[in-house]
Amino acid sequence: MNNDEAKFLLSVYRPNGRDAADPAMAEALAQAKRDPALAAWFERQQAHDAAVAAKLRGIAPPPGLRDAILAGARATENARVVRPAWRHPAWLAAAAALVILLGAFMGWRFAPIHGATLEEFAVNFVDRGFTLQKRSADVAVLKAWLAERQQPLPQTLPTEFARLRALGCRMLEFQGREVSLVCFERGGKEFHVFVVRREAGAIDAPETSPRWIERGRLVAAAWSDASNHYVLVSDAPTETVKRLL
Amino acid sequence: MSNEAFTQLVDAHYTALYRFALSLARNAADAGDLVQQTFFIWATKGGSLRDAAKAKSWLFTTLYREFLRGRRRDARATSIEDLPAGEQDIAAEEVDRVARLDAGTVMSALQGVDEVFRAPLTLFYLQELSYQEIAETLDVPIGTVMSRLSRGKAQLRAALEKEAVGVGAKVVAFNVAKGGKA
Repeated sequence: MNNDEAKFLLSVYRPNGRDAADPAMAEALAQAKRDPALAAWFERQQAHDAAVAAKLRGIAPPPGLRDAILAGARATENARVVRPAWRHPAWLAAAAALVILLGAFMGWRFAPIHGATLEEFAVNFVDRGFTLQKRSADVAVLKAWLAERQQPLPQTLPTEFARLRALGCRMLEFQGREVSLVCFERGGKEFHVFVVRREAGAIDAPETSPRWIERGRLVAAAWSDASNHYVLVSDAPTETVKRLL
Repeated sequence: MSNEAFTQLVDAHYTALYRFALSLARNAADAGDLVQQTFFIWATKGGSLRDAAKAKSWLFTTLYREFLRGRRRDARATSIEDLPAGEQDIAAEEVDRVARLDAGTVMSALQGVDEVFRAPLTLFYLQELSYQEIAETLDVPIGTVMSRLSRGKAQLRAALEKEAVGVGAKVVAFNVAKGGKA
């Protein structure tokens, strides 16, 4: 870090020290300790900032503002009691329309997903769209979340997966078996890994070499290890997915 | 949310919110309205916020969005790149000058800073939010917040200097007038 970079950071370092934990700020502060000229410059910046901040703290709200806020909130609450918004005819009509739409959506959304094999099921699942139950970029967090729920855990993912950014995970079922789904992303493409325990019973899955299927924009690869059966579904080009495995 | 909890929330944040609103709206009446509107929205929507620890950040964000919604974009905001950065040296006299000014004058100088810099600058001096929270409030990356702060501070220093000179100029003008010469 040169002095110009340090000055840029130190110029936005707040006088109450709440930015001290920031690693880049800490580096700039350390540089200021080593460089007397930079330290003197920083001291004047801090004094100026502290003076302005102190003046700002001298601004008091108008005397009646607090009472007006509280009275306004009470009036709003009372108005709600007198005339609940949801009883308005327009709201009731909108609610009725929403129920119809919701019913149609639920019928589509929660219809069973079929697939003779795990990879067919996985492709259909990803193709229809889904939500994650746990979001984190930290794979360890996702593993812990799945472990808490006694879900199958991906033990031996190819090393290339370390280059992907984790998105999250969820639980689901395939032919009565528990399935964990862990999702990753790289370069705008998503990689969804489905995991089923081998001990959960025989399913049609390859032992060693991955088995591939392609469906529209999606490609899927299925393989197994000593503990689990896996399916990777992605919207990335097949060659990209092959390099990953 | 119970009345007691709402009152505690108001007591904890309305002062800082008012200072932020005053820097944005530039007059006490509009600032008061903005703060009231923000708590009104909280009363109707914010109570459903799952993480109570984020209430402060939510309030600042809502106030800022309400402000943006209620005004037309300031054309001066396009001149960002022409401004000097704020890393130049500060003379000791400048610090003394600020210390001598009253709070209203400093607020007036802050209100003279272009809005694109004024919002992050006020949040910077209020020292209530982390940089991550400021970035989320203003919906810009942290690097942009820092860059705008740096330039905003340069504008503020220029405005403070004008305020100080303005106070002095009034005195000089009075004396000149008394002497009858320009």
